Amino acid sequence: MNIPESAPSDTDLRSWLRARVAHYVQLDVADIDTTTALTTYGLDSVYALILCGDIEDHLELVLEPTVAWDHPTIDALARHLEETLAQGSPSGESR
Amino acid sequence: MKVTEPLIDTGQVDLAGFDRALGDPADPAALLSFARSAELDRGERFPADICRELDRMGLPSLYVPAEFGGALTRYDELVAALRAVARRDLTVAIGHGKTFLGGVCMWLAGRPEQARELGADIIAGAPVSWGLTERGHGSDLLAGETTATPEPGGGFRVHGEKWLINNATRGTLLCLLVRTRPEGGPRGFSLLLADKRRLPADRWRPLPKVPTHGIRGADISGIALDDCPFPADALIGEQGAGLEIALKALQLTRTACTALSLGAADQAVRLAEEFAARRELYGRRLVELPHVRRVLGEAYAALYAAEIVSVLAARSVHTLPEEMAVISAVAKSYVPTRVDELIAACGELLGARAFLTEVHEHGAFQKLERDHRVVGIFDGSTFVNQHVLINHFPVLARGHQKGTADEEAVGRTADLSAPPPPARLDRLSLLARGGCGFTQSLHTASGELRAPASAGEVPARVAELAEELTNSCDRLHRELALIPPASQDVQPEAFALASRYEQCFAGAAALRLWLHNRTPGEDPLWLEAVLTYVLRSVRPPGQPTDGEVFDRLFDARAAGRPASPPTSVVTW
Amino acid sequence: MIDETGSRDAQAGIAGPEDDPATAASIEDLAAATIDTPTTASLNDLEHLFGDPWDPDNPTGHAAVLAADEAGEMLAAGERLLDGYGLNAEFVPPELGGRLTRLDHLIEVMRVVFRYDPCLGLGYGASSLIPAVNVWAAGDERQRRRMAEVLLAGGRAVSGYHELAHGNDFARAEFSALPGDDGRLRLNGRKEVIANARRAEAMVLFARTSDAPGSRSHSQLFVEKADLPAGAPVHLPRFHSAGMRGVQLGGLEFRDCPIPADAVLGAPGLGMETALRSFQVTRTALPAMTAGILETGLEVTARFANERVLYGRSLAGMPYIGSILADAFTDLLICDCLATVTARSVHLLPGETSLYASAAKYFVATLLMDAMDALSRVLGAQFYIRDGGYGIFQKHLRDLAPAGFGHTARVACLSTVLPQLPRLARKGWLDDTQPPAGVFHLGADLPPLPFERLSISSGGRDSLSASLSAALGSCELDGELRRLVLVIAAEQADVRRECAALAPGDLTVAARPEALRLAARYAAVLAATACVNIWLHNRERHDAFLSDPRWAVAALGRIAERVGRDPGQRPRHVTERLSAEVLSRYRDRRGFGLSNRRLPG
Repeated sequence: MNIPESAPSDTDLRSWLRARVAHYVQLDVADIDTTTALTTYGLDSVYALILCGDIEDHLELVLEPTVAWDHPTIDALARHLEETLAQGSPSGESR
Repeated sequence: MKVTEPLIDTGQVDLAGFDRALGDPADPAALLSFARSAELDRGERFPADICRELDRMGLPSLYVPAEFGGALTRYDELVAALRAVARRDLTVAIGHGKTFLGGVCMWLAGRPEQARELGADIIAGAPVSWGLTERGHGSDLLAGETTATPEPGGGFRVHGEKWLINNATRGTLLCLLVRTRPEGGPRGFSLLLADKRRLPADRWRPLPKVPTHGIRGADISGIALDDCPFPADALIGEQGAGLEIALKALQLTRTACTALSLGAADQAVRLAEEFAARRELYGRRLVELPHVRRVLGEAYAALYAAEIVSVLAARSVHTLPEEMAVISAVAKSYVPTRVDELIAACGELLGARAFLTEVHEHGAFQKLERDHRVVGIFDGSTFVNQHVLINHFPVLARGHQKGTADEEAVGRTADLSAPPPPARLDRLSLLARGGCGFTQSLHTASGELRAPASAGEVPARVAELAEELTNSCDRLHRELALIPPASQDVQPEAFALASRYEQCFAGAAALRLWLHNRTPGEDPLWLEAVLTYVLRSVRPPGQPTDGEVFDRLFDARAAGRPASPPTSVVTW
Repeated sequence: MIDETGSRDAQAGIAGPEDDPATAASIEDLAAATIDTPTTASLNDLEHLFGDPWDPDNPTGHAAVLAADEAGEMLAAGERLLDGYGLNAEFVPPELGGRLTRLDHLIEVMRVVFRYDPCLGLGYGASSLIPAVNVWAAGDERQRRRMAEVLLAGGRAVSGYHELAHGNDFARAEFSALPGDDGRLRLNGRKEVIANARRAEAMVLFARTSDAPGSRSHSQLFVEKADLPAGAPVHLPRFHSAGMRGVQLGGLEFRDCPIPADAVLGAPGLGMETALRSFQVTRTALPAMTAGILETGLEVTARFANERVLYGRSLAGMPYIGSILADAFTDLLICDCLATVTARSVHLLPGETSLYASAAKYFVATLLMDAMDALSRVLGAQFYIRDGGYGIFQKHLRDLAPAGFGHTARVACLSTVLPQLPRLARKGWLDDTQPPAGVFHLGADLPPLPFERLSISSGGRDSLSASLSAALGSCELDGELRRLVLVIAAEQADVRRECAALAPGDLTVAARPEALRLAARYAAVLAATACVNIWLHNRERHDAFLSDPRWAVAALGRIAERVGRDPGQRPRHVTERLSAEVLSRYRDRRGFGLSNRRLPG
């Protein structure tokens, strides 16, 4: 399991998210655009919940399960996660 | 549509033409349409007009053996015709087909002129009913209380009620099981043909129509007889032979009744297939979802297993009459049960459309689901038929060990290229002394697969499945031998063994069907699917079954590749 | 029965039948055994209002219920009875003036209604409960107050989710509520197969409120009929159905219909979330209530077996018939255990209920339908007759069908559970944090219903599943029951291993059947976990039947079979104990559920 020593950089997070999304929708990472709505790739509401669980485990954060509903692109999601990490996870305490 | 020339007549049975003439039920103008059936069901009205048209097409002549003036020379043809009607509307098939049940005792035991007379009535369109059951006794025929007292000058005086009888009111004639010895017992019952046209009108009356869960339009009623005089020539067969004749007749009727299940399964599969192909869900068509394809693939396998048992059971009347006690019990227990399951699985795909009575082909599915539940109940319930099978465990076990099967007869049963030999109804027996040829000859059958499998003509997987079935069947028979002879305290385990036996029978029949009808280069996909399907219920728990063969079966059918056993004759 | 001194038959863990004639439980035992809850009194009131179901002159008995069903109408006498009882108050939280304090109590009350007439259960009860729960979960002060007022005044509410063209895929609902020129929302579209559509004073409608893709484009709207312009909505013709024939299924059509701006429940865009949260309450409650159908099914079948003579002997005395009765009874107890534990979890583990509610809905509905089918085969031809002494059975069987496809179809429930499983396999199931013991203590106090804490994801936690291995740690668990718990634990381990290996494509609606089956197997293990823990935690109740491990042995055996594991040969005395219990409960007029309550008549 990936235990981040320090908060991952924005680019790290983006590429990790891209890789996760690519994994779920079974596309090449290169085909995943970070500004496109996740639903365009067929990541429906249920998938968004799975993605949330992955992020929680990866960053050791507790998030609203609907985080990907409210931040529906990789860029938006990464930005939100960055802010959350910077603020010391306001939406939940670190586990 | 009106048919001028009968399609079924003595010496000429045009089943394909008959099926075509019945039309597509989705077409409201067809003789049997979903729209019309729904309307009759809602109004609980008997489909009298439709039955009259079936009479005109000549269907009743298929209920009468050729020797008595009808067109019945092959029981598999009877199954195919009833299935074709049931595929459109089960209520019609049950309402019309009852006449075959009503006549069978006569064909088995009546005097030739008596039988020819009944045959003429049937061909002329007279409905004939069969009164076995009474209020409060269910399937317990020996408890029957309707008595026939012999009169000094010949003839009988009949008193009592027959109840829950299909066509008791519509029937012009009724074949009745009556008690002719006050103490009853196996030789205490006889059969009488009640000809309502000749009975004094003040001595009998129809009992009211019973409202039923399904087949709402059918005439499920009864008859009350009040010291009603019957002429001496109403007796069918010997006095005191009634129970034996009825039990042999049930071997034929139970076999024929499986056709009703096949028609229901055809319709259920069609409704589910069409829905799955059209329905959009989660942005794709239902049929693209893997679990939907699996459900349909399994439904095909279930239908194939059921139709193979049904069709080969019907052919066994000609080739293996001595074994019909076992074969008919297996067929009547196995086929309706599998089809009930198939209907439930298809219904789950349809969801609300299997519940609403007006949407999706006029609510055909919910009607079919209700209608079909009667097939496992009437003419001997699954419980009763498994009881018959359990009674045969000792002879099945013994026969399996000795291996006395008439393999040639088994082969003739399965070889569809040749018409079966004439039926020898006189060789029907209440006990299948030698056991059952299909299961006994599994060793030979799976052995015949070995060579083509090692030559690569047949997938090794299929030969392995056949081998596994053979071994399972041997193991099962060793267990059957350990069951104490059936007393009244039959334990639940015996019923579980009976179910397993039925699956082994179905697998053996499928294997035989393939062996005797294969064409070079043919993909035995349907066989693989049926063997996988039956083995799932035969294997000890803890050995999961891989279901991917059902997906391949679905794909093959969806692509229009031939993937059905030769028993499949479905057209619409 | 277990020897009081603590010495047990080490081999079987349960003693032979000679120790425990099924009829041994005395009336005193039974009285003490009745699970005492604050609603026992009101439950008894309700039972007495309904009266003896077998009395042909009872206006709310089986004969009257059947007649209403034949006519395709609601049972008017039943509706009056429930008006008088104030059933709607059961759906309203106490702070709003109602009696909805506990989900397990609500289930018990509604189960009585379902036992008599499922049409009343759905048409009078559940159809109002579903929209109400949405309002309790997401409504503001005014909306909550208004919904409570409508219900407490005896009014009806409906929920409009369903559109025939989209089934369970309600995210694709076309029904829309978009702002008009005046800023007010305009409703457009239709909702179909809605119970009580014509009779409702208040409605909760699920509508698209944004054209944007994604999961924030829908909202629920709380609309009162009185606020709609004249002529709206247009009522679609009634949908007739094979079961629940008395329930008026209708449809609503809106054409550019303005509604007040404050109709949105919560904030705009929360529709999916609100639905997924409040469905946890209703997916738990509805199948549990519906178990009343199987109770009636068992009663009718026991009555038939008791009365019928076949081949010169009583049907009830035939071992095979006894085994079918025993199996159906066992399945009812399994349903009860799973439903009760799930209902109590809504109070005690609201963060995890997203998992349990869908699993329970799938499993309970499946068991109920299979058990009723099995019982119908005992009744034989009598099952097929719509009148006479047993005609009520076929009505209940028909009425059960919506349990399978209604309020989220079973396969859709599995699709809800499945995506949560890989994460649990990686993490949650390795954590042995135990649930509060209160989830297993029948009747014990519960905190208020925490609507606001229901979450759409369990966040990788599943403490109920952890209680299976905890049960194995109990020294009370031995013999046959311990052996079966080990069988279930092996299944649990297999499920975990297979879930950890699931491919991403298997977590969607396009999952392979084997993957969906994993969710079903998870549900089965959860049910077994509930059964063994209910047995362990309620042995001090002085209910001779409940503390006898044989019912739990039978339950775990049935569940093991369902998931394709070998439960081993069930000792004959186990089956006999259960079938004898069915017949004695029938003869003593006691309910067939865990609560073992006395019934009127």
